Amino acid sequence: MDFPHLHLLLNHFPIIGTIVGVGLFLTSLVAKTEDVRLSSLVVFVAMALLTIPAFITGVGAQEKIVSDAGISNDLIQRHEGSAELSVWFMEVTGALAVIALWQSPRRRTPVRWNTFAILIFSLLTAGLMARTGNTGGEIRHSEIRSAEEGTAADSALSHFEPSPAKFTRLMIVNKWWWAFMMDMHFIGLVLLIGTIGMLNLRVLGFSKQVPIGALNRLVPWGIAGFGMNLITGMLAFIGMPTFYSHDIAFVLKIAAILLAVTALALFYVTGAFRDCEALEPGEDAPLHAKIIAGTSLVLWFAVIVLGRYIQPLQDSIAR
Amino acid sequence: MREASLTVPLFLNALEQTGLSTWLRESESIFGFYFILVFHTIGLALVVGPNAAIDLRILGVAPEIPVPALRNWFNLMWLGLAINVVSGIFLVLAYPSKAFTNPDFYLKLTLVGFAIWNLQRMKRQLFDDATQSESAMFAKGRTLAVWSLVLWAGVITAGRLLAYTCSYLVYGVPC
Repeated sequence: MDFPHLHLLLNHFPIIGTIVGVGLFLTSLVAKTEDVRLSSLVVFVAMALLTIPAFITGVGAQEKIVSDAGISNDLIQRHEGSAELSVWFMEVTGALAVIALWQSPRRRTPVRWNTFAILIFSLLTAGLMARTGNTGGEIRHSEIRSAEEGTAADSALSHFEPSPAKFTRLMIVNKWWWAFMMDMHFIGLVLLIGTIGMLNLRVLGFSKQVPIGALNRLVPWGIAGFGMNLITGMLAFIGMPTFYSHDIAFVLKIAAILLAVTALALFYVTGAFRDCEALEPGEDAPLHAKIIAGTSLVLWFAVIVLGRYIQPLQDSIAR
Repeated sequence: MREASLTVPLFLNALEQTGLSTWLRESESIFGFYFILVFHTIGLALVVGPNAAIDLRILGVAPEIPVPALRNWFNLMWLGLAINVVSGIFLVLAYPSKAFTNPDFYLKLTLVGFAIWNLQRMKRQLFDDATQSESAMFAKGRTLAVWSLVLWAGVITAGRLLAYTCSYLVYGVPC
């Protein structure tokens, strides 16, 4: 299994998943069904996460096929530019969905501004993702080329799309900008471990006098830290894409992040959190909650370890 | 080269020639330099992570958390601190000229000193006096919590900048 395989495996999810998410979300608005709304939000979050490896494997796939006969580098660049635009809309949609999921048990009705924002961003994402899929397909499939090229919508969009080469240069041209991104990446790490990490430790039995429900109120700060790291991490990747995609520690780090987020999600959706919330101070958490918390903790620290083994980064950029 | 030997003290060169220092720098083993760096980052997470969470609590986030129950967290922070003192010494040992010729290195150490002092004051004033009322505790705690966040952010920033501001990589070799 190499990057082209992985890319083909992953790249359909953001496109189809976002459309499914939009469908569910619209259904929930019309039928006013909370369960369907929550499902659509979960779909958006999952797609926002799967978009990251889909994007990253694209760089690896590009390197593999760029010298093949019949492959146009211009088409690849156009696809990459389209992807770089849709990724950010996808991540905003995912972030809005996380906020809505957090608000859900605390509000009787969905928060209006967020419902509106999710609607707008998910629709834009669906459109941009479809375009990304289309421009990607054209790289290999000459039979679908040029149908919509030159249309007004096409030229308007390509105006906003970053030129991948320029975007890349922008990230690495100033070492102080790079240093700032890395600084934020570490501060995000601290927020994540200080909140989600401490919640996991409490579930495992450390400082049992702290009620888990109360500690949970810190988790949005951890998610904000994760968001900071997602943004700075993606920007760093865009700055030196081939450097990262060649590094096994980086690939494993991304895998560990996806698993760690899954573990965090499982903590809430399996009811482990509800069981923990009901505990009195000093009481031990149930075994299934401990298993999830332990796995989560190990994975977050694995992310730190693997991140540090992305090796020559400091040296190559600092000089 | 000649200029370099004038500005960098000779003992740093001697330190760099020792077996341990050379091995830390040049070893291809995964237990070399980056292994130490891993510990330094884990230590950072264990010190600053819980401390930031305590600061947030004192500043009004998650008000249901009973503050005295967070007393145990200091053990974790002391552990993180110990890890970072040890791993920090090894990092300096690997690149002594790089560290000691960089003003940012002294800035970082100073900020670490103030941050630890602040942390100890927090422990003593907020956690060791069980008799004080909650409102008295929070009145004292706010300033300490703000300083804690500022100082640790400064430590992280100064630490991160070490990678971008050095003037010598090793003795006689400019960055």
